[in-house]
Amino acid sequence: MGVKKPLATCALAAILGGLWVPVQATAGDAAAFEASMKAALAAQKAASSVGGEWRDTGEMIKGAQEAAKAGDYDKAITLAEHARRQGELGYKQALAEKDAGLPTYLKQ
Amino acid sequence: MKKILLSATLLTATLIPLLASASPEEDRKLITEYMVKRFPGVELSEFANGVYAIDEIGRQNWEAIEEFPPYEPFIDEGEQMWNTPFANGKGYSDCFPDGPAIANKYPHWDKKKGMVITLPLAINACLEANGEKPLGYKKGKINAILAYIAYNSRGQVTQVEIPADDPRALEAYEKGKQFYFARRGQLSFSCANCHMQYAGQNIRADTLSPALGHTTHWPVYRAKWGDMGTLHRRFDGCNKQVRAKPFKAQGEEYRNLEYFMTYMNNGLPLNGPGARK
Amino acid sequence: MIRFRRHVLNVAVLAGGLAASMSYSTAFADTLEEGKEIAFDRAQGNCLACHTIVGGEAPGTIGPPLVAMQTRYPDKAKLRAQIWDATVANPNTAMPPFGRNEILTEAEIDKVVEFIWSL
Repeated sequence: MGVKKPLATCALAAILGGLWVPVQATAGDAAAFEASMKAALAAQKAASSVGGEWRDTGEMIKGAQEAAKAGDYDKAITLAEHARRQGELGYKQALAEKDAGLPTYLKQ
Repeated sequence: MKKILLSATLLTATLIPLLASASPEEDRKLITEYMVKRFPGVELSEFANGVYAIDEIGRQNWEAIEEFPPYEPFIDEGEQMWNTPFANGKGYSDCFPDGPAIANKYPHWDKKKGMVITLPLAINACLEANGEKPLGYKKGKINAILAYIAYNSRGQVTQVEIPADDPRALEAYEKGKQFYFARRGQLSFSCANCHMQYAGQNIRADTLSPALGHTTHWPVYRAKWGDMGTLHRRFDGCNKQVRAKPFKAQGEEYRNLEYFMTYMNNGLPLNGPGARK
Repeated sequence: MIRFRRHVLNVAVLAGGLAASMSYSTAFADTLEEGKEIAFDRAQGNCLACHTIVGGEAPGTIGPPLVAMQTRYPDKAKLRAQIWDATVANPNTAMPPFGRNEILTEAEIDKVVEFIWSL
């Protein structure tokens, strides 16, 4: 009787331990996210500074922050990376368009 | 020989962008000619009716709506606002002694302030100067006072000036022009793609309205909004539609854009407020 | 006896091949269907905004109708490039750069290309 209970409890804990895969953030994940977020915010700021920010970038950044808070660093990093690319593309676009003027089809 | 070639190349490199630009009046004539050619048979003044100048079926529906215009209650509310004194006893007519038929004085370049002044901006300047709360620039009560002013200004002619003695005015025009022709947003559209290049074509089931006539009929009761809105409210929506982050209503970008767009509509009659899909 | 075995073998090979090609064509049919969904979705390809496509309602009239695509684009890769970034062929184009601006993912573009090329 005395042996069976702790044995059963250990077994149960082991089973539960094996079945339960927590989204456990490691220090490495958090650091990777911080780096991604920093880059995303910088890219957003750059795009905004030249009037080239895209509509959904801010929402992506918010989503990334929320995912990180919930411990889902995979999702958080994916969103942050997407936001960073949006910022970079928006910045590039604004610079490419800075001399925009009368298009050729108007002159025909 | 090398020196001459180098300086010649440098000279050409700086000249090319200058050759491409034209004066505002040349821009306006070019765009007007393009529109007239694209929509033969449409009288110039008719462009003030926007898409209904070029979309016959839409026009029939629109004319039916205009029998009982959805913007009428807003005109009435605006009239009340105009005639109701502020807490300090003064009123809108003290700020605008020539009012309410003052729509064609805007937008204009203000030399002292060094910026483009629009009518909504002037309205809030009046309110704040008299200790009243300023109004929102996209939705709400500002549309009522604007509707009243617009209704009383019907028939006035668009006449935006770019004062020659202040180079900053031309700069503001050029900034508005650049905004208009620049691709923006994730979808990479410029205003010109829809409203010049493909004006008159259909995007899904909607006909794209031409740039000529865009500024004459604000504020607008838009069925899609179920509400009235200002020109800058529409800018906000358009920018979002191409997946660009919109700019601040009555901020510098949209005021300069309005300056350019309204100049392009010089000569067209004012016919606000308007009703649209 | 040997003939019979070969016969069975042939039938088995045929049956296997048929099954494989059927599962391939089912997979391909799935790709076409998914590509169509992405193309028609207003939040994704939204191709009907500008193009007439069989099966789509109220198409726009900004771009050409998407028909006879294999005649117009014998090289499927060129069609993909056009969808990826139409400004390469025409700097004045009104067509959004679906790939360059990451409006669609590469996987989504692959599916859309299969669908559009089949028109």
